[in-house]
Amino acid sequence: MKKQMTRKTFILTAVIGGVLLMVMTIFNTFESSRQTVTATNEAVSEVSSFYLEAMADRRSKTITNLIDSNFDQMEKAVAFIDDQHIGSEKELRDTIGNIKSLLSLGRFALVDNDNVVYTQYTTYTGGSRHSFLAKEQMDERSVSSVSIYGSSKQLCLAAPTPDLKIAGKQYKASFVQIDVSEVVDLLAFEDEGRTYFGLYSKNGENISGTELGPYIAKHNLFDSIKGVIPEQTWNENHDNFLNSVEGSITFTADGIEETLCYVPVEETDWMMVVLIRESVIHDRIRSVSEKSLSITKRQVAFTLVFCILFFGVLMNMLKTLLNKDLEAEKENTNNFRNMANTDSLTGVRNKHAYSEAEAYLNQRIRENDIDKLAIVVCDINGLKIVNDTLGHAAGDKLIKDASALICEYFTHGAVYRIGGDEFTVILQEKGYDTMHEVMAEINRVIEDNIKKNEVVVSIGYSKLTPEDQLVHDVFERADQMMYQRKQQLKSMGAPTRNE
Amino acid sequence: MRNDIIMKRLLSIVILSALVLTSCSMASTDAGDKAAVSDGTVTAAGTGDKAEQSDMKSDDSVRSAVDFDHELEEYRPEKDNYNFYFTYKIVHPWWDAVALGMEDAQRKFLDKGITITYEYMAPDAASAEDQKRRLDEAKNGDYDVIGVDVADAEVISPVLDEMVDSGCKVMTFSSSDAREGCKRIAYVGNTHNYEDGADLTEALCEKLGYKGKVAILVGSVGAPCHEERALGAKDTIAKYADMEIVATEYDMDSVDMAYELTLKILDKNPDLDGIICCNMSNPVGAARAIIERGSDTVIVGMDHDEEALRYLKDGIIYCLGVQDCYSIGFDTLQIAVMIADGNMPGQLFEEETNEITTVIFQDDAALMHELLYGDE
Repeated sequence: MKKQMTRKTFILTAVIGGVLLMVMTIFNTFESSRQTVTATNEAVSEVSSFYLEAMADRRSKTITNLIDSNFDQMEKAVAFIDDQHIGSEKELRDTIGNIKSLLSLGRFALVDNDNVVYTQYTTYTGGSRHSFLAKEQMDERSVSSVSIYGSSKQLCLAAPTPDLKIAGKQYKASFVQIDVSEVVDLLAFEDEGRTYFGLYSKNGENISGTELGPYIAKHNLFDSIKGVIPEQTWNENHDNFLNSVEGSITFTADGIEETLCYVPVEETDWMMVVLIRESVIHDRIRSVSEKSLSITKRQVAFTLVFCILFFGVLMNMLKTLLNKDLEAEKENTNNFRNMANTDSLTGVRNKHAYSEAEAYLNQRIRENDIDKLAIVVCDINGLKIVNDTLGHAAGDKLIKDASALICEYFTHGAVYRIGGDEFTVILQEKGYDTMHEVMAEINRVIEDNIKKNEVVVSIGYSKLTPEDQLVHDVFERADQMMYQRKQQLKSMGAPTRNE
Repeated sequence: MRNDIIMKRLLSIVILSALVLTSCSMASTDAGDKAAVSDGTVTAAGTGDKAEQSDMKSDDSVRSAVDFDHELEEYRPEKDNYNFYFTYKIVHPWWDAVALGMEDAQRKFLDKGITITYEYMAPDAASAEDQKRRLDEAKNGDYDVIGVDVADAEVISPVLDEMVDSGCKVMTFSSSDAREGCKRIAYVGNTHNYEDGADLTEALCEKLGYKGKVAILVGSVGAPCHEERALGAKDTIAKYADMEIVATEYDMDSVDMAYELTLKILDKNPDLDGIICCNMSNPVGAARAIIERGSDTVIVGMDHDEEALRYLKDGIIYCLGVQDCYSIGFDTLQIAVMIADGNMPGQLFEEETNEITTVIFQDDAALMHELLYGDE
């Protein structure tokens, strides 16, 4: 009983432990995913501003580098022209053409003191066309953005050339014009559609022609966000633009949160504005999280199924092992019981077995649960003589012969060796019904054995009567009859102890 | 057989009905099309007292006012290199726009392997004498064609005749042609300056209810385009008994002078109802003066100055006649190549290549500004 409880406890503990383990694993996984998503969302807002500012700054520096590089090239170009000792306008045009290809200066030109502009193919009066020529004298380099008739926009870089004289004519400046579209190409984002940038003038006019997200598109920045952000914020940012101060604006348009950062582009009056749709970042991260969560769910489900199957198999194996142990134990018990109840010499049941059977039958008699019961008592004649004269081995053989004889005829009864030369047979049902026929037959054989000097057994029997309280009562009558028979057989020549 | 005849008759009736309905529809569309073309002047859908018009029609007219999308004619130039000389009235943004059209054509020729070099020169102040001097110099230069935007028809036309007689290939371009009978080979530009002046003035008269005092600001003295527009304006005013011209002044293509002149006119005529501006600088100077005085004088004027477009958008200027400068420049260079090859007007090109003027109103200003100068 105690052993069974231990097994159940073990199984119960294993099952509960396994389930708890799985529940904890699942819970931890989900909690971990949830916390990751929350933490990431919080980080997005912080990171996006920093990220935007870095992007805007990087792109702003790209433009500054482009400007510096072009100024350097212009300086080289002017030095080259100065060295050429050009004598005619045609030579100047040819030289400008060579410079353009050598130094990759797209639209390079010189301007004389009369504001006449010299390019590779044309010479024109440019006073009204180039704003930097409005000054009588150029003392320092200038960077200006120009709206060209036809709506294209250009970046004009001009540098004074105080020492440049060609064919006796003084030249006041050199300049290049860079299409803003070329600048835009340099700045393009790879993740178009998610991150936007634009170049804006100080009054918020879009210079680059690039779309700053679907809400602002290509329009004036401040016109677009008027009414979307508080007036004070609008004014602050507007002032930032006018004063070339960097900043950022977050606004919600059409239910979507947008963040833009702006930084001044050095040497120009431009503002580089970068906008990233936080919703896009959120969506992307959410998508990644959901994907991760989905994978985790599948992993958890797989683990769960695996654990259930594993525990099932484990329990089954445990059950099989326990059953085997149980069976072995039962077998051992039976073996021990058989050994305890069996006579080692003859192989029939022994006295102990008879005692158990007697107790059982007594119980049934008491309960009046039995009606057909007969006890046969058998005693071997002349065993002592054989032992004394022929030795115990011969005596043992006689016992075995007697047992074999009894077993041969009382096939429907339980045979017990209850003493050295004494056997008892319990007859019930069919054994009981055929008892008289069997008795007659065995007695006839025994009587023949007397003549053949073979085993002789004295047999008495008795049936259970209503007056009998115990098996012993029946036994006593059978035993008495056995003694009577012994005397009878003696008279017929059977050996006895007294001879 | 009888069924066939009935079927044919029914079919005829159906087709006839369809034709009648289609005709009605087309007639209706024509009637509703506000953009009217007359002598090269297109009136875009307007505002103010103009009748209601379709915004789409208006946008189309505005978009087609200046054609930036040009391709060269199929003409095959005879040489690989050309050298031209062009001179125009005055250093001014209007001619800068013409220059951009020329540069576009030059690049397209270059793409075909034909190199065109040219000079495109003007004085800081309009001067027939300066132009005469430039032409004298150019005559002796190595130029395939000399192009002239005539500063003063009376002064310059004889010079051009003389140049042609001496073997120079001369053409006129942009806004002002030489006087009739001049030997110049061809003209590319506005051939309807008189009508432009008349159309702007007609719009002003309508706005004023054909009653009131007006002033005329002209550009350079003797400049054919300015004088013709002024003449068109005067003739239109003369049609209406209750309209009166109280002043006619020349700003010499200077915004500052236009401003000063307008202030003077307003001082003398505080009840001035309208100003007709015949060039690009007039409306800008006039608008500045009107704003300064807080006057409600109605301004009509010419051209596409960015500041003028802003005044149009704000309602300070009532309407502007925008010329297609880009096409003028493009076609000038293209025809110069043909002339340089010895071609004369005929099948290849007209003696006068007309470029359109589009009159635009307040509602068209933003789109025009965007088309010409990008978003504000």
